Amino acid sequence: MIINNTVFKILFFILCIAFSRCDSNSRKRPLAKKVSLKPTMTLKNTNEKKKLSEYSFFKGKISDLVPNKNVFPYELNTPLFSNYAFKKRFIYLPDRTQIEYLKDEVFSFSNGSILIKNFFYPTDFRKEKGDKKIIETRLLIKENNNWKALNYIWDENQNDAYLNYIGTQTKVSWTDINGKNKSIIYNIPNNNQCKNCHLNGKMVTPIGITAFQLNKKYSSVAFKINQLKYFEEKNILVGLPDFDEIPKFPIWNQKNSASIEKRAKAYLDINCAHCHNPKGSAKNSGLDLSFNQRDLRKQGIFKPPVAAGKGSGNLKYSIVPGHPEESILIFRMKSQAPGVMMPEIGRSVVHKEGVSLISEYIENLKESSF
Amino acid sequence: MKKFLYFFLSVVIIVLISKVYQSSLPEYSPKRDYVDLENEILKAFILAEDNSTIELPEGHFLFSQSLSLDNKKRVIIKGKGMDKTVLSFKGQTQGAEGIKITNSQNIVLQDFSIEDAAGDNLKVSDTDTLTIKRIRTAWTGKVSTENGAYGIYPVLSSNILIEECEAIAASDAGIYVGQSKNVKIKNNKAYYNVAGIESENSTNVEIHNNEIFQNTSGLLIFDLPGLTVYGKNIKAFDNQIFDNNQINFGVPGSIVSSVPKGTGVIIMATKNVDFFNNNVSNHKTSNLAIVSYKVFAADKDLESGSQISKTASEGIRFIDSEFEKDKGYNPYPGRVYIHDNKFSNTYRFPTLSNDFGKLWYIKNNARIPDIVYDGILPEGIKLNSNEVRICVKNNDNDSFVYLDAENEFINFSNDLSLFNCELKL
Repeated sequence: MIINNTVFKILFFILCIAFSRCDSNSRKRPLAKKVSLKPTMTLKNTNEKKKLSEYSFFKGKISDLVPNKNVFPYELNTPLFSNYAFKKRFIYLPDRTQIEYLKDEVFSFSNGSILIKNFFYPTDFRKEKGDKKIIETRLLIKENNNWKALNYIWDENQNDAYLNYIGTQTKVSWTDINGKNKSIIYNIPNNNQCKNCHLNGKMVTPIGITAFQLNKKYSSVAFKINQLKYFEEKNILVGLPDFDEIPKFPIWNQKNSASIEKRAKAYLDINCAHCHNPKGSAKNSGLDLSFNQRDLRKQGIFKPPVAAGKGSGNLKYSIVPGHPEESILIFRMKSQAPGVMMPEIGRSVVHKEGVSLISEYIENLKESSF
Repeated sequence: MKKFLYFFLSVVIIVLISKVYQSSLPEYSPKRDYVDLENEILKAFILAEDNSTIELPEGHFLFSQSLSLDNKKRVIIKGKGMDKTVLSFKGQTQGAEGIKITNSQNIVLQDFSIEDAAGDNLKVSDTDTLTIKRIRTAWTGKVSTENGAYGIYPVLSSNILIEECEAIAASDAGIYVGQSKNVKIKNNKAYYNVAGIESENSTNVEIHNNEIFQNTSGLLIFDLPGLTVYGKNIKAFDNQIFDNNQINFGVPGSIVSSVPKGTGVIIMATKNVDFFNNNVSNHKTSNLAIVSYKVFAADKDLESGSQISKTASEGIRFIDSEFEKDKGYNPYPGRVYIHDNKFSNTYRFPTLSNDFGKLWYIKNNARIPDIVYDGILPEGIKLNSNEVRICVKNNDNDSFVYLDAENEFINFSNDLSLFNCELKL
């Protein structure tokens, strides 16, 4: 028995060694000591405003986000998922300038216009209007006929937000609608990551400011009228056609707003199509998730991957009708591994409700009809 | 108790055997002492102005996210040497690439190493005039399917020079030029990758004086369907291509995961290829193969994907079976001229790990051929017609196989005389 025990121990030891060799190749992040450099690599200061308060977008206590003159709120029918963050969006227009209505593309703005997007978390999601923590404010500024992206990170006391180029990580906690405590690591993007989504060809461009996204009633108590109508009344929007000619996006999580297919496509459009369109940074994939794409293969149905590498998850097609579990789209939406997850940036948790929506859509596609 | 001991013993033996089997994969494990200068280097990239130089200091720098440049002109990124300045992305939490450059002009990267990115180590897209010089890209530790796809990866770009670089342990290709124009790849070393150097759907490419060894396959000159552009006009000369017999550790589903191990050079579906003055040796499947997309699609390497799952080797469709719908795509090689090369082999017997190797036992007296041509032609086109012409001339040792793959090998032959011709390319 004693001998047996010893043999066991030796064998066990060999096993341990064998397995530990296997682990030596792991992709875990090693330790790195913080260092600084003298002189520093970049001495240059940019001319941008260092603090958000310098723009005077908001009156009163800045963190209440009450818009000043020339600053107008707006909402989208189906917004981008950003780690469950809430967003408050505004448009700043210089005096005597207007937005020009365009039917199928992003509205046209004059130089000096600024799009303002605040990302925040209510402490308790069941009380949206209660205490909140603002994480960051992203700006798109139109200057010399080009848009540029800037980002401001809020301080702990919510007194102001400060210009940041390199992004950072911050921990965010909240109580969700079921009363559960949630906590995530939130990635604030660096300046190039902003461009990653906002590039159209070689130009930075806004994404959500389109007729089909803005064609909705304000949900806030104060207004309750159609946003486009409100803009027209305020004389800041020109070229608005008759209302029945204005396209409207489904609302992804409102069942009565459209069919499952339409709601799924609206979700894919805002979450994916900024890269996955014929001019976007993912054009080489051949996948086009724009709402109006009619070609089934380009939509992903029975489309094999091109250069997905590990991202294909050993699956054959982007979408296999009737089989979400065999669809690359779902595999990548469910992943949190860099190099596999989609979208590549902008989320650090899985959007469960989004995955359910797209799964239901794929489930409902009949294999025989393709 | 005894039964249990035997069981335990056999488990240990199985584990050890599998370890020994795995250890046949090579390892690249340089000594690293990481420091964190992430914010400062990131800022230097993001705030880089046109006409500027980013000077990377000496050290092993660890990053949690990709470094990127977008829409810049005339920027130089320069380290203190590939052994001295190391940018490591091991365990990165954001982004897939190590360094990513997009929409730029006149960019130079030189004298540093890039390691362990989740996806590609260096990806450059939509960029004109690019120099990549004395850059080493590697995945450290034992070579693995978990390694990123491409080491040096310019795509949809033009006027590219890649020289004196080293590419190690990519799970796809070490140096990969895709859908690009006017490319020079010279004096580089590529080893421990699935594919050493690959030119895919690119035009006007010169590949010369490279050392390509210990990959699954050495040099791939490919044209694939379903992409935005197609390639032609490739010159490959003065390269040393040897000992590319590594087990295929490509990710199942990727095109290279179906590359048979032990092939020095594969020319697939590409037009106007001039391959001369190269030294190609010691490959267990064949030193060089000229094939259409069709025959390549039919072969499977038995060992590939074995670490992943069984379904990988059966179910995965790495080939786009709808390629025939792609009107712009021509799946046949044509105007390929193989001349003045030196072929040799110290291996006597073909590998049994793929269909080609097995075929040599049946059809080729168990000999490994130097040059293989599948002979698949477009309908109604003859072997000697100009657009599909293959010429093989003046090589030192060129045992030859004409497969006649289209007709179940009926006219399988070793006769080179039909291919004794010259091409002006």
